[in-house]
Amino acid sequence: MIARPAPAGAARPRIALPEVERGLGFYLRALFDLEPDLRAGAAPFAGRRDQRATIVNGAIRIPPGLEDGLTLYRATVAHAAAHLTWSTGKFPLRGLRPVQLALVGLLEDARVEQLALREMPGLRNLWGPYHVIVPGVAVSAPALLARLARALIDPRYDDPHPFVAEGRRLFAAGHARLGDPLFSRELGVALGDSLEALNLQFDWEAWLIEPAYRDDNLFLWDLGDAGQHSEDRETTYEAVAMSLAEAGEQTELERAGGEQAQPDAVQNDAAPVEGTASVDEALAQPYLYDEWDYLIGAERRRWCTLLEKMPPAGDPRAIDEVLRRNDETVQRLTTLIKAVQIQRPRRLRKQLEGDRLDLDACVAATLDLRSGRTPDPRVHQRLGRNNRDLAVLLLLDLSQSTNDWVPGAGSTVLNLAREATALVAHAMHDLGDSFAIHGFDSNGRHGVEYYRFKDFDEPYGERARARLAGMRGQLSTRMGCALRHAGHFLRARRVAQRLVLLLTDGEPHDIDVQDKQYLVLDTKRAVEDQRRYGIATYCISLDPAADEYVARIFGARNYMVLDQLRRLPETLPALYLRLTT
Amino acid sequence: MDRHSPDDLISQYLILQQPYYRSTGDEIALYEAAYAVRMPMMLKGPTGCGKTRFVEYMAWRLGRPLVTIACHEDMSASDLVGRYLLDAAGTRWQDGPLTLAVRHGAICYLDEVVEARQDTTVVIHPLTDARRVLPLEKRGELVHAHPDFQLVISYNPGYQNIMKDLKQSTRQRFGALDFGWPAREVEIEIVVHESGASAEVATKLVAIGEKSRHLKGHGLEEGMSTRMLVYAAQLIAGGVPPRPACEVALVRPLTDDPDMRDALDGTVRAFF
Repeated sequence: MIARPAPAGAARPRIALPEVERGLGFYLRALFDLEPDLRAGAAPFAGRRDQRATIVNGAIRIPPGLEDGLTLYRATVAHAAAHLTWSTGKFPLRGLRPVQLALVGLLEDARVEQLALREMPGLRNLWGPYHVIVPGVAVSAPALLARLARALIDPRYDDPHPFVAEGRRLFAAGHARLGDPLFSRELGVALGDSLEALNLQFDWEAWLIEPAYRDDNLFLWDLGDAGQHSEDRETTYEAVAMSLAEAGEQTELERAGGEQAQPDAVQNDAAPVEGTASVDEALAQPYLYDEWDYLIGAERRRWCTLLEKMPPAGDPRAIDEVLRRNDETVQRLTTLIKAVQIQRPRRLRKQLEGDRLDLDACVAATLDLRSGRTPDPRVHQRLGRNNRDLAVLLLLDLSQSTNDWVPGAGSTVLNLAREATALVAHAMHDLGDSFAIHGFDSNGRHGVEYYRFKDFDEPYGERARARLAGMRGQLSTRMGCALRHAGHFLRARRVAQRLVLLLTDGEPHDIDVQDKQYLVLDTKRAVEDQRRYGIATYCISLDPAADEYVARIFGARNYMVLDQLRRLPETLPALYLRLTT
Repeated sequence: MDRHSPDDLISQYLILQQPYYRSTGDEIALYEAAYAVRMPMMLKGPTGCGKTRFVEYMAWRLGRPLVTIACHEDMSASDLVGRYLLDAAGTRWQDGPLTLAVRHGAICYLDEVVEARQDTTVVIHPLTDARRVLPLEKRGELVHAHPDFQLVISYNPGYQNIMKDLKQSTRQRFGALDFGWPAREVEIEIVVHESGASAEVATKLVAIGEKSRHLKGHGLEEGMSTRMLVYAAQLIAGGVPPRPACEVALVRPLTDDPDMRDALDGTVRAFF
């Protein structure tokens, strides 16, 4: 009865969410300033309901394979985002009949769309084409609802039915109250009465919201005491409540299942722990480092003991696998790297040979000749490549918290960090930059453990990759001490630029320190000390709450808080290139 | 040695017509106070937010010539202070733009100063403290700055790069004014004035600009600048339909990433 429209002509092939997810994320963030949280797969609602999107805890769940392509995806997420922006608070379900329930939802849809259109009038062209119902088809409750929906968004639509006209009139009359969600509820209840007066059949459970881009509106309802109804609508409400509960449980189950579904990966990570326990010895003499105590305003001499440990080896193929899996990113990086290498020619002046004359040197030489001195024969210039004279140490925080599961990424923080490391190492290797990859964890001030996965002079080969593959997360984060040790390696490099790139998922913390300020201020001190030696420290923090302290530690320009954790693997290399070119 | 009449050389740098500048706060008064004591100034802010226009306006208001130098990586100290040239009779010294400004009391504006190499920027140091002198080493001359001379630099703090940063020793010689994006109403006013487009078009363009700035740090290094919005409005005022105008002036210049491009096109379509 209500056909799915194809606004721009012929049927398009189905597009899966992952193909468009990134673009939709940008779209949502631009238009609504929302942290995009899109998930594939509708919650498992009964019947045809799974053809509609739904909103669960602020996440937009999108039904599988919308065949209308990007436009329908956009219409869907824009509508859901309008809800998330303006549908504040939930409506109590108590005392509502099914038709009223449907109408309150419909009016709320219209209300948030109007609010969005007020600001962004062009959205009408996005949503409008999906409203295709026309008067004349047999009068039924779902058809009237769809006609009302169209009447409320499409000013050129003409509908003779008194119910639609009344809805339109009342909605327009409430123009001043558009900002108030209660308006939808009051008007919905009133219109529900009018629709019921028409004596039309309405089966809430079989009803599918039209048009296709609208979500099922279930998140609008406060289902707190839904089970207490005992009249004949009870079944309806129970269905709502149960579906929602089911959806909630399902989400929980999926999350738990997601973790259980990957026991192999987890065990692989853990396996080397037992196998290499005996190798897990200190490599050399312990290093003693000072630590800054802000309470006494002085360094505590030789306070921390740092042990260099042999990193357990994993399977180097895992790293190659990462590159294969991120093929697209690697290709994009290769292009970027080429651009970095090619784009930046440098005029080399005062050369003995070259393809043209260096005017300044020529003038100087002529001056010398005229004043009877021996001229400098280096009067040519040529274009040479920009010499990347830098050394980079990538320092990884390997504390226990890196084993946390990242929602939406199907991976742990550590795995993402490893992927990112593999990609950025690939980039640094291609660029010919001098780089090292180290990691650390800590267990009190006597037990800072430091792992060298790859050193500066070591080729980035099988062994380094194997160590990267074998890295694991444990214990705490005594950052300052590790930074001092990293600085110790960088100071030995004779280069123009030295950089520590610190990748961490939390603030400095250790088991023997209660005062939160203490390690934060020590880390700040360590960063300042490094700067004195010409070592820049840049922090990539994966902690969403990091804004409070990272700026204090690293300085306003020297950090980045990455809120989209699963994007880490592609972000880190790009950041690296941006920082160093 | 310098045989040019100083007036000829410097008068070409005078700004005769009043440049349009819409004040967004007390920056004009602050700048005037800074100029009164000849304090070197640093203008901070994202690209295209009006830093250069502000300097032009202030130079006009104060009636000083404005010597603008766009800094770049390949710039050497002699590009700033000057060099010897050969002529038939022998050699001739040619003042660089900085020296010119110092001698004749102009405002010297170093645009995007971080682009210059750090060894180049240090030549401004003696000019920016109590000495106010410029040593011309090659010539063996110490130029004392004209009483009206002032140095202004501009700088984009959002541009994160460890290779290109202002040294503390340079930064601390300047007073600084922060330029951000103008408030919505003000930005609309600016776009209307600069482009001749209707207020309605400008309102939409400014809204698109604001939306794009949400993406800063989330896929875009920088949102759309006021300058870009003005370009788009000029195209629209010139008869180009809004969507292609926005594609050409706003979306395509901003990004090469196809996902981002589509998302921004979608953003434009939410308004036009």
